[in-house]
Amino acid sequence: MKTASLSTEQAPPIAVPLRFFAIAPLFLLLAALIIAIYDTNPFVDAHSPALLAATHCITIGFIGMIMQGAMQQILPVVIGSPMPASRQIAWLTLLPLIAGTLSLSAGFLQGAPALLNLAWVLLGFGFVVFIAASLISLSRAPAKTASKTALLLSVLALTVAVILGALLARGYATGMQLDYAKLAAAHISLALGGWVTLLIIGVSYQVVPMFQLTPNYPHRLASALPPALFTSLLLYLCSIWLNAPALSYFAESLLWVLAVVFALTTLWLQSRRRRRVADATLSFFRLGMISLLCAALLSAAALLSPSPAHFRTLSVSVFILGFALSVIHGMLYKIVPFLVWFHLFRGGIKKGVPNMKQIIPEAWMWRHLWLHIATLLAALLSSVWTAAIRLFAIGLASEGVLLCFALYTGIAVYRRTLKKLVAST
Amino acid sequence: MTTLAGYMSTDHKACDEAFAIAEEAALHSNWSQAESAFSTFRQDMEHHFRMEEEVLFPALLEAGGPAGPVQVMRMEHAQMNELIEQMANALADKDSKEYGGLSETLLIVMQQHNLKEEQILYPLADRVLAAAREAVLIRMQAI
Repeated sequence: MKTASLSTEQAPPIAVPLRFFAIAPLFLLLAALIIAIYDTNPFVDAHSPALLAATHCITIGFIGMIMQGAMQQILPVVIGSPMPASRQIAWLTLLPLIAGTLSLSAGFLQGAPALLNLAWVLLGFGFVVFIAASLISLSRAPAKTASKTALLLSVLALTVAVILGALLARGYATGMQLDYAKLAAAHISLALGGWVTLLIIGVSYQVVPMFQLTPNYPHRLASALPPALFTSLLLYLCSIWLNAPALSYFAESLLWVLAVVFALTTLWLQSRRRRRVADATLSFFRLGMISLLCAALLSAAALLSPSPAHFRTLSVSVFILGFALSVIHGMLYKIVPFLVWFHLFRGGIKKGVPNMKQIIPEAWMWRHLWLHIATLLAALLSSVWTAAIRLFAIGLASEGVLLCFALYTGIAVYRRTLKKLVAST
Repeated sequence: MTTLAGYMSTDHKACDEAFAIAEEAALHSNWSQAESAFSTFRQDMEHHFRMEEEVLFPALLEAGGPAGPVQVMRMEHAQMNELIEQMANALADKDSKEYGGLSETLLIVMQQHNLKEEQILYPLADRVLAAAREAVLIRMQAI
């Protein structure tokens, strides 16, 4: 039994997660710029290089970066085992991630093989370091919980998603003969359905009851869901490999049914919360779950429709922007004020430490929620009215700016208070 | 047979109840309800801390349990007591905003503390104190 896991010293230094969080919103800004400049609309051309560039700014530059920073913080609390050498791992993952995402986007935009080759090497390196550190932490964890299983499977899905992503980027760079459609389908399903969904599930098991005082997720459901979801992903991969449309149809349906079960259970638990006060982070989380339901419905429409492409693009858009981004915003607005408070308070200094609501003003979180809903609606609108993609770009850029502003405000409060506390002792 | 983990985890949940009522009432400036719920919450927390600090932790240490984690738990109790003290002041000043901010902060400190106890410390206590479990439970119930 690893009892050392209760030590507060196991929490990484505050700079570790905050560095990831502070840089990630800049990639939302970059994605918005690419969309605006290249006037790329996924509902007009779902395979344009500019769209690939913008999408990867959001998925790797924003979602991936936040999730890597958050894992450093989550692992010690949720499974009682920190990442080894957190500072070094942070630099070895963050820097390749920044450089790799930039060169991947530039490589797509300019069709430059050298940049694409550089990108897959850099991103591959950063992700391998992250995956190895996560697996070490998971293997040392004393807890045997459903969360741990979900996190482990999420990291395994990420591993294969990264390998396929590197293969695809290398293929684009060298003009290699590959079945791009198949590989891309596998890459997307592992990255979004596996890594993102399983990580959110594993973390939700802990934070949903914790932040809003809801009942716990039903035990059997919580244990069964992550392995079932992972199995359906594997089935889906087999179906792609074997060219088996019937199996593919079944596996994809199963995957979405499980996602729906998770979303409905979460909404049901939240409706039974004992803490009834208004909370922007809760609203972000609920918006995320409702979006996951909508993404599932749109995928069902794609499965039933004779011309599924439009519904598929809609489903992926709602999944990324509505589900993943909403949940991440909700988590950030909860975690960052807490981290600032925690690192100021733990020195045993009691007076003069601001409480969580004095760190990032709540009013900004509510404004951001409305902005996020408007941006999401603009994305949906652009499926029927092409020019609305500009509105979406403006919304996404504003979200990046607002998130930067909120996070930098939090960091400034930390620095200011620390200086004051040091001066007064 | 009741385990220490089961008994103490149930008590955590009981503390949450009054916490949520006090917070909602204070945010709606419903001060009489806020005061009575807060006072219940404060008593529940004091009672829970006493069960741990006067019975469970000493018993665990005496039976050869690890000192480090117990020390961390005591430190977090002190942190929570400090926040509860500040909440009492905000309540006396009828300051909804201050109370809400402190209450939000306490909630996360408290929940994260509970998680660590429920997942690691209590199961450990159940193993280390296996033979003396009944006696420890009876002594805690007597507080």
